[in-house]
Amino acid sequence: MSLRQLGYQAQAAGSNLWNFRGRNLVSILIIGFSFLIIGIFLSLSNNLTYLGEQLSNNLAISFFLNRNINTDELEAIKQEILNTGLKVEIKHISSEEALQRFKTNFPELQDILSSLNNNPFPPSLEVRLKEKSITLLALSSFMDRIKKVKGVEDVQFNQEWVEKMDSLSRIVRAIGLFLGSILILASFFIISNVVRLNVFARKNEIEILRLVGATNTFIRLPFLIEGFVLGFLGSLLSLGILFLLMKLFPLYVGSSLGAARQLFELRPLTTEQMGWLIAGGIITGTLGSVTAVSRFLRV
Amino acid sequence: MIELYHIWKQYQKPHWALSDVSLEINSGDFCFVTGPSGSGKTTLLKIIFRELFPTEGQVLIDGVNILKIPDHKIFRLRRTMGIVFQDFRLLFHQSVFENVAIPLRIIGLPYKEIRRRVFNALRQVNLHHKMWEYPQRLSYGEQQRVAIARAIVNNPNLLLADEPTGNLDPELAFEIMTIFKEINKQGATVIIGSHDRELIRHFGDKIFFLQKGKIIGKEEKK
Repeated sequence: MSLRQLGYQAQAAGSNLWNFRGRNLVSILIIGFSFLIIGIFLSLSNNLTYLGEQLSNNLAISFFLNRNINTDELEAIKQEILNTGLKVEIKHISSEEALQRFKTNFPELQDILSSLNNNPFPPSLEVRLKEKSITLLALSSFMDRIKKVKGVEDVQFNQEWVEKMDSLSRIVRAIGLFLGSILILASFFIISNVVRLNVFARKNEIEILRLVGATNTFIRLPFLIEGFVLGFLGSLLSLGILFLLMKLFPLYVGSSLGAARQLFELRPLTTEQMGWLIAGGIITGTLGSVTAVSRFLRV
Repeated sequence: MIELYHIWKQYQKPHWALSDVSLEINSGDFCFVTGPSGSGKTTLLKIIFRELFPTEGQVLIDGVNILKIPDHKIFRLRRTMGIVFQDFRLLFHQSVFENVAIPLRIIGLPYKEIRRRVFNALRQVNLHHKMWEYPQRLSYGEQQRVAIARAIVNNPNLLLADEPTGNLDPELAFEIMTIFKEINKQGATVIIGSHDRELIRHFGDKIFFLQKGKIIGKEEKK
């Protein structure tokens, strides 16, 4: 097919998009809203991933040590922690430092402490993870390994909260994927049917083209261009609405949510994710057209 | 050369639209297929340009069995033909120019060349002054002439016309036949389905008589 023929077909697609603008607008809206849902879930997932990262950055595990631990044993524990290969920052907190910290943090409880004869706080090693992301499994195997070293009495780590965050992020992603797949499938069928209506309205034209010697590619091309354009415009619309939502939603929510507000701050999609959304729209539109036209080409 | 061997066509049992039709048309012939309404003229023409497949039989054009050409290659055969359909098959949302230009756009000719050829074809059917009109604003006879212009615009080797003068006044019908005769003189084979006795008597070199799907006679002018 020559460039000239391609130009003619693009022109035909353009006039068809305009002639059936009402119907085409509906398809653009449907694609737009389907991909908007996916975009929102992607954005939420981004947000949760970000929070998870923040959490892992500040993740501190306290290994409580035997009160009578000697320097060699302490060094052995530190060495074992470094041997795991994880990026960590280790800080030794002596019993006195722990007591001091308690006094600073909870001044109202100083009376209780004074009634005690000895310092109740054991020495500890505070291990702050510097890994960008770490799985819960790796974390628990790390803790198990250190717990077995001589001199380590106990370990304290707020695992439950991290687990909740992790599963929430996974649920959001799963819901997004599930709803997104259904909506993409639905928009695929809708586009396919909209194009089929367009094809049906132009059945005579297709028949004439076939009878005067047009190839299938020549007939199919305007419809493919239409599908491509509908998909592209639909996905652009979804990105536009998503952008507006991200700008307006925090204003609407305001500061009423306090600390939880961070959860509702929709972080922008990455350029790669935006690229995938647009590619998804184009693929959905074009594939919808291919399916619709193929049925009418057996003239 | 067009050869039809034992063509049978059945749309619905038990009626046969064509029964054992065999005929030969040489390159450069100007021939008519005639007979009363329902005799099978349109069916026969549709089989020749393969809009329809016969129930039985073979169709050879220049030695090629056109029934064996795969669907995706049939465009090559059709580009060598010009077809005037009984129902015109015009696109009403496109101008006369655009309608006539379709066969040329398909083969990717430059716009200037398309314009020149479309203008010439429309001048031949005396419609060049209505090039930018839309078919729905034309009379029935004018629409028919647009269909004829579209059929002749790509200088076909074979021109098939199904009742091309059915709605034209005798003078215009005569003019159209003269155009067909001119195209024939340039080397194209012309097959016309018609029941206009006057035209057939005047123009027909070879005439096939159809009745109830059977060839009942053949006449050839020497």
